[in-house]
Amino acid sequence: MAELAAMKPQRESFWRSRVWKRFRRNPLALVGTAIVIFYVLVAIFAPALTADRMGRNCLRDLGLKRTEAARVLRNPLHPVFWRATVAPPKSCYRIPRKGYSPVPKPPSKKYPLGLAGGGYDIYYGLVWGTRTAFYVGILVVGIALLIGILIGGASGYIGGWVDNLLMRFTDVIYAFPGLVLVMVVVTIFGRSLTTIMLAIAVVGWPTYARMLRGNILKTKAQDYVDAARALGAGGLRIFFKHVLPNSIGPLIILASLDIGSIVLSVAALSFLGLGPGIGFADWGQMVNFARGWIVGPPGEPLKYWYTWVWPSLMIALFVLGWNLLGDAVRDALDPRS
Amino acid sequence: MLTFTVRRLLQLPLVLFAVSLIIVGMMQFLPPSARAAAFVKSEQQLAHIDEIIKQYHLDAPFYVQYWTWVQNALHGNFGFSRVAKKPVLEAFAEKLPVSAELAFYAFLPMLIVSIWLGTLAAIYRDKLIDQIVRVLAVLFWSIPTFVLGIALVAVVYGYLRLFGIGRLPSDLIIELAQASAVGKFHYYTGFLTLDGLLNGRLDVTWAALKHLVLPALTLILVQGAQLVRVMRSSMLDELGKDYVRTARAKGLPDRVVYYKHARRNALIPIITLAGLMFAFMINGVVITETIFNLPGLGQWAALAAVQLDQPAILGFALLTAVIVTTANIVVDLLYALVDPRIRYE
Repeated sequence: MAELAAMKPQRESFWRSRVWKRFRRNPLALVGTAIVIFYVLVAIFAPALTADRMGRNCLRDLGLKRTEAARVLRNPLHPVFWRATVAPPKSCYRIPRKGYSPVPKPPSKKYPLGLAGGGYDIYYGLVWGTRTAFYVGILVVGIALLIGILIGGASGYIGGWVDNLLMRFTDVIYAFPGLVLVMVVVTIFGRSLTTIMLAIAVVGWPTYARMLRGNILKTKAQDYVDAARALGAGGLRIFFKHVLPNSIGPLIILASLDIGSIVLSVAALSFLGLGPGIGFADWGQMVNFARGWIVGPPGEPLKYWYTWVWPSLMIALFVLGWNLLGDAVRDALDPRS
Repeated sequence: MLTFTVRRLLQLPLVLFAVSLIIVGMMQFLPPSARAAAFVKSEQQLAHIDEIIKQYHLDAPFYVQYWTWVQNALHGNFGFSRVAKKPVLEAFAEKLPVSAELAFYAFLPMLIVSIWLGTLAAIYRDKLIDQIVRVLAVLFWSIPTFVLGIALVAVVYGYLRLFGIGRLPSDLIIELAQASAVGKFHYYTGFLTLDGLLNGRLDVTWAALKHLVLPALTLILVQGAQLVRVMRSSMLDELGKDYVRTARAKGLPDRVVYYKHARRNALIPIITLAGLMFAFMINGVVITETIFNLPGLGQWAALAAVQLDQPAILGFALLTAVIVTTANIVVDLLYALVDPRIRYE
């Protein structure tokens, strides 16, 4: 009996696992983690970071006066701080404007990163754009995963002609230039953040479906699945209780690392002018604002550098952080290395 | 090989069927009057939209509509593009050479450079050159195409006054338009670099090349970065295999082991990827053409999407699907030809 107890599989603690050790030893992994944490912090504390420059509508919806905004929004003991941080009203995602001059204004004390054409505060747009980025990234990965799990799961578990049909369909979507498909969806269903997110999710699921299918095929052949069947478990029960939980782990990790590239696609669309409405805090749109100001007047070609340098840096660093993190995780998970 | 070829070729109509079904299916979400725009051939016809709705059964059930749409598409009628002010097929044919020229000048250098760098990084694993290649690859992989494009426009074109934006300098465009009107300049291929040579106008070729440098560079840097990464890891995989050790044990020189044995096998995933790269390239072309003001397919599609020019977008999507699928099939066939193992899978 004692022997049997000793044979009980022991779950290795994550902190002692080889995967974690390998990850921790990789310097690029730490850089990536630091970058991602920086963005998470910016996103969480966006209201506090921009308390002194909130738009009129945002302040109204929060029930604040301009004079008290900075004090309240930087005080964690105040209930409005939590409201603004956890569930800010939609109006806070609108970039406040200082005047309506079409010409950008260089960085100043009040506007440290300058004003984009139309008087949009670049600093505000970038800080709140971080929130948009995470919101979009997480939601799109979620939807794409859901579709991928449905299709990949059905394909791998049922097999036969269902598998064949679903996988050929997956191939069609996979081989198609994603941006073109997204453009089709956006022109038909109209331009909005929701449409874009749905469109990118609709384009993004094939990788997940393929991966899950592969994992399921492996899991299906395990002895414990046969054992469950021998015990009389039904097909759906086996799928949800045994096959899916044992096939989905790496998929979820790898999918969540795609947030960087998804944010990149959204930024590209919004740069093309297919993004959310004008004035919504979103990095791609900030670059789009800069489109007419990339090359300055003769003699001062870099006069308006701040219009495109800051948003570009913000996007590139975000994607870099996720890519470094993703690389490190994939390396750590790879049993060959 | 024959069965493989036939099986692979049979996928083309299947893919086209699926894509057209998706596209026509999505069109059902539009009101009939918006769908009618896909069948309008000229601006005058826009006035009689109700007749067109009747004529093309746009209020009929889905399968009837699909059938009418297929018939029209087979006759090359994809409707009228408001943005290009031309029928969609005509606009596509006119803009295709611009994009194809850009893709051509980007694709080959990208393949060569990234295969070379990837191999080098793998051979000198963890040495300085590997570190440099890896850091550069992850950096350029992370820079969005439009960010790199804008940076190049601002710094290289704006500040350093090198190369150009657009397809040609504006004085040359006017001159060529006049010359072609009187039959002194012929657009044989639509590739300006080639047409310049064929017409004996080296200045045109030179100017066109100068205007292609920046957009091509943007595509090469962003897309090549991914290829370098794949090449490096694929080469590392091969270098770790037994046959490499055998080759070394036989006393073959390093050069032969690396380039004749390992690299040949390491190239296999690259060939597969090259087909997919083609699709990514189209994504990149949409953005680079917009930034560098090249009047190609990508710029047209981007404008059409912004201005909700549905016939243009739908036609563009379908024709792109044809090109991408054909390219993938060609790649697969080449691949099977090069590596006999593939055919029996």
